[in-house]
Amino acid sequence: METSVRIERIDAYRWRVPRHGGMRTDGLIFADEGLMRDLEGDQAVQQVANVAHLPGIVGPAIAMPDIHWGYGFPIGGVAAFDLETGVVSPGGVGYDINCGVRLLATSLSISEARPRLGALVDALYRTIPSGVGASRSDVILQRRELEGVLRDGARWAVEHGFGVPADLEAIEANGTLEGADPGAVSDRAKERGKSQLGTVGSGNHFVEVGYVAETFDAAAAARLGLEPGRLTVFIHSGSRGLGYQVCDDSLETMLRASAKYAIPLPDKQLCCAPLASPEARHYWGAMNAAANFAFANRQLMAHYARRALGQVFGPEAAERTHLVYDVCHNIAKIERHEVAGAPRRVCVHRKGATRAFPPGHPELASRFRDLGQPVLIPGDMGRYSYVLLGTDGAYRETFGSTCHGAGRRLSRHQAKKLARPRNILRELEAQGILVRAATRGTVDEEMPEAYKDVSRVVDVVHAAGIGRKVVQLKPVAVVKG
Amino acid sequence: MPYRFLSHTADAAVVLEAPDEAGLRAAGVAALRELLLGDSPVAVALERPIRASGNDTAERLINYLREVLYLYDAERFVPAEAAAEGVRGEPFQADRHRAIREVKAVTYHGAEVRRGADGGLRATVVFDL
Repeated sequence: METSVRIERIDAYRWRVPRHGGMRTDGLIFADEGLMRDLEGDQAVQQVANVAHLPGIVGPAIAMPDIHWGYGFPIGGVAAFDLETGVVSPGGVGYDINCGVRLLATSLSISEARPRLGALVDALYRTIPSGVGASRSDVILQRRELEGVLRDGARWAVEHGFGVPADLEAIEANGTLEGADPGAVSDRAKERGKSQLGTVGSGNHFVEVGYVAETFDAAAAARLGLEPGRLTVFIHSGSRGLGYQVCDDSLETMLRASAKYAIPLPDKQLCCAPLASPEARHYWGAMNAAANFAFANRQLMAHYARRALGQVFGPEAAERTHLVYDVCHNIAKIERHEVAGAPRRVCVHRKGATRAFPPGHPELASRFRDLGQPVLIPGDMGRYSYVLLGTDGAYRETFGSTCHGAGRRLSRHQAKKLARPRNILRELEAQGILVRAATRGTVDEEMPEAYKDVSRVVDVVHAAGIGRKVVQLKPVAVVKG
Repeated sequence: MPYRFLSHTADAAVVLEAPDEAGLRAAGVAALRELLLGDSPVAVALERPIRASGNDTAERLINYLREVLYLYDAERFVPAEAAAEGVRGEPFQADRHRAIREVKAVTYHGAEVRRGADGGLRATVVFDL
């Protein structure tokens, strides 16, 4: 499965996949030489070229430095489409619609918290269900409530006592995407979602306690409440089975739509429909509803994380924990961008990529307006994660997008083989990182060596000007599925 | 073994080989069962019907496996083997079945079935993990 696509180096951090064959535009990959070498032998670059085949694409098919082989779009892929001639593709969003991350900053310092980290990780593990098929017995949504979640997202959660109103302005799109149509979500999807709100799930999803270990921009860090040593909680999850089912349900329709509208597909997983078509409108309504479910899911998990902090450190610790930000990784959105010097509304697909709007952007809440949008980049559970800010460079070059994480370097099979003779839990504990997980298998598959060093990815983003480093966080306790 | 996993960084890719479409479904169920449950034993106790349509062999195979995964994920029906018009298996029992991994979906990525020189069928399927 190797790629035969030609690649040209533009500069130290940019590579062009020149338009050829059925491609309608170039591909543009952000990476340094080492990261490009990591792509040899898989199909990620071919997938960038495949995305460039889709009708109505505006600008290049873009890939972030954490690009890796996905299905349809590569993971780390960004593409914008014209509203009249372009398409929406569920393969450009992914199965885990609005998979994303949120970061909470506590009022505690790591030195205050360290003696009680064991109690904290146990409380988080008890309070936030994780693992394969995780569900909650205390939050089972009746049909009307589920429809409220699908329509209103995090706003529904806050109105029902999960969090505080101030949380909403620290969430992308204020935690509610317009255009959600609960009626477009199938009964199957609703059935899968009704007991999964407030659960982390499994695989690479997690709840991670960390602290601010290094600061790159002290003024911005202070504005975000991320002073040196501050204890933080990172949450990574998405729309759970409900979102997977929404995507799955849409694919047969989109395959038929691709044939109906005579859209040639280099990969069936890129099946799509013109944005103005009834097929696209149906998917759009269901996708936004699933995205709202994901916002509400992370809002509930943050609520339970605050409760766990309160149980261990007292009620004041829960009350003084604030939401730094919450971002989507897998989404398609209508946004206004400048294309060839003129403002234009386009449909931006981000699959394994993060929105990174610059200072002054009108969609940002007033408290972020002069800073730029906070961007959260988790790494692996043994090393570090980053907080960045959106930049003008991202707005100019990448439709206001940047990377989303480290990207895997080992398959799950390779990771398990490497971990088998070792005890990864003990190794992490010896480094001062406590792990609670439903199975040892997940910990082995998610071992730190399974991922690229996220600092390589973030350094490229920073150097290329499509993100700006603020702080580095180091993990001290992790709940894995 | 009628299936073998390929190296895939983020997800799971499997090659299925069989003389006919029914054999591909059987191999696909075996591969999916291994991903979901490792080597947990699964009894052939019940049969659940599946009607999988599609424009070609690849789409029919993917659509069949999507239904098997849905039954597992939404109804906790553990697949043991493919049947002519469905899938055989048993309800999930925590004391006998070890759910080792979440499989989000059976994708259409690169979905293709080819006939080899020996007349047999060969399919590649990518599962989203």
